[in-house]
Amino acid sequence: MSVLEIRHLKKKFEELEVLPDLSVSIEKGDVVAVIGPSGAGKTTMLRCCNFLEKADGGELTFDGIAHDLRKMKTRDIAAIRKRTAFVFQNYNLFANKTALQNVTEGLIIGRHMNRKKAEEIGRAMLEKVGLSGREDAKPDQLSGGQQQRVAIARAMATDPEIIYFDEPTSALDPELIGEVLSVMRKLAEEGMTMIVVTHEMSFARNVANRILFLVDGQIVEEGAPADFFGNPKTDRAKEFIRGLEDRENAENPQRR
Amino acid sequence: MDESLWTFLIESFPKIILPGLKITLPLTAAAFTWAFCIAIVNALIQFANIPVLKQASRLYVWIMRGTPLMIQLYIVFFGLPSVGVVIDPIPSALIVFAMNEGAYCTETIRGCLESVPKGQLEAGYCVGMSYPQTMRRVVLPQALKTAFPSLSNSFICMVKDMSLTASISVAEMFYETQRLLGRTYKTLALYAELAVVYLIFCTVLTLLQRLIERKLGIGQPSKKRWQILGRLAHVRS
Repeated sequence: MSVLEIRHLKKKFEELEVLPDLSVSIEKGDVVAVIGPSGAGKTTMLRCCNFLEKADGGELTFDGIAHDLRKMKTRDIAAIRKRTAFVFQNYNLFANKTALQNVTEGLIIGRHMNRKKAEEIGRAMLEKVGLSGREDAKPDQLSGGQQQRVAIARAMATDPEIIYFDEPTSALDPELIGEVLSVMRKLAEEGMTMIVVTHEMSFARNVANRILFLVDGQIVEEGAPADFFGNPKTDRAKEFIRGLEDRENAENPQRR
Repeated sequence: MDESLWTFLIESFPKIILPGLKITLPLTAAAFTWAFCIAIVNALIQFANIPVLKQASRLYVWIMRGTPLMIQLYIVFFGLPSVGVVIDPIPSALIVFAMNEGAYCTETIRGCLESVPKGQLEAGYCVGMSYPQTMRRVVLPQALKTAFPSLSNSFICMVKDMSLTASISVAEMFYETQRLLGRTYKTLALYAELAVVYLIFCTVLTLLQRLIERKLGIGQPSKKRWQILGRLAHVRS
């Protein structure tokens, strides 16, 4: 059964039509990599799914219940948000809270869990992302990679049905990307449903089970990573993959 | 300076500082507390963009910032009795200062709320917190930390502006100094002494501000500052 289904999602910013009409269905346990050139509407799509942007039209079915995206009630939005999680490009850790408080805040305040139980979960989550011992560190005392791992721990803590990742490694120094990707890979292996907007092709190729290739707000191609990267059907996808290969070659000229 | 002047200054010192401790400082503290509460409410209303309330709040700030404090005091104390509203000097001062300062602090706090990255609010939503919860737990604490130096500034200003209340016969430092003057005519000496007392008050408040800032982790510890100066000096040489 699909966890999330979006139909005819429309979004305009002023005159710019970012998403003309987008439909997609996400199955439980899916790890979907959303890729495509910049400005394709990948992030906007993700933000509309969690109501961080108000869609101009469309329908969102979460857990079997359909909602008209134009007429979402605050209560419905809150209810869906409580069962999903979002990992931001620039982490967005609560700057005035410690790593542990960042993870427990949504449990204690958002879900009225008692502090002791929440902290237990919080510690376990931080351990899972390899940050045991940094519970009391403030975000500005952590590296970008560590901050993003806290953000992932924060996302996992609420036991969501689905986690949205908005370019989770784009703001990181190259040497810190690996630690975040490996946490995400672990999460994927545990069966977490994930939608990942990413420019990390190694992740899309090796961890995702589905690729959504977005151009100008439309899904131009979708399928298994092996098919998409090995045997792209559309010209736009071929061009995109050729571009990736050119870049790889430019970065490693000795391979030629 | 002859000895009698020194004796005079020493004798008059408690007569000046006591009304300061008894009236100026408590009145400032009370008025500022109210101003702070007014400002938080107004800043939150404006930040949340609540229709009607927001316009009302803008109107309040516009009027309070656009008219002189002294005239506001006169309207409340000398003006309102003519329509049957009689308010004692100290409550008058309290109301006017709280309302006036509240408008300035509204702008300070609103600016600091705006300066908290939008992502903080979004992150709050995404972990399942409501707007009020995220504001209370995440955005407001960060904004108030940023606002602290400016708010301290306003507080120190208010201590000095309290001297205006002498004109509506609040028996604070300036008022008492003028009464002493009426008996002794040592104008320069007494006004200078009054200025020194204000300076003492403000010095203590400034030190207090530094202390709290250090507790809040605002700015750099002085040691680090010296290191930077040292490094700059090194670069120069």
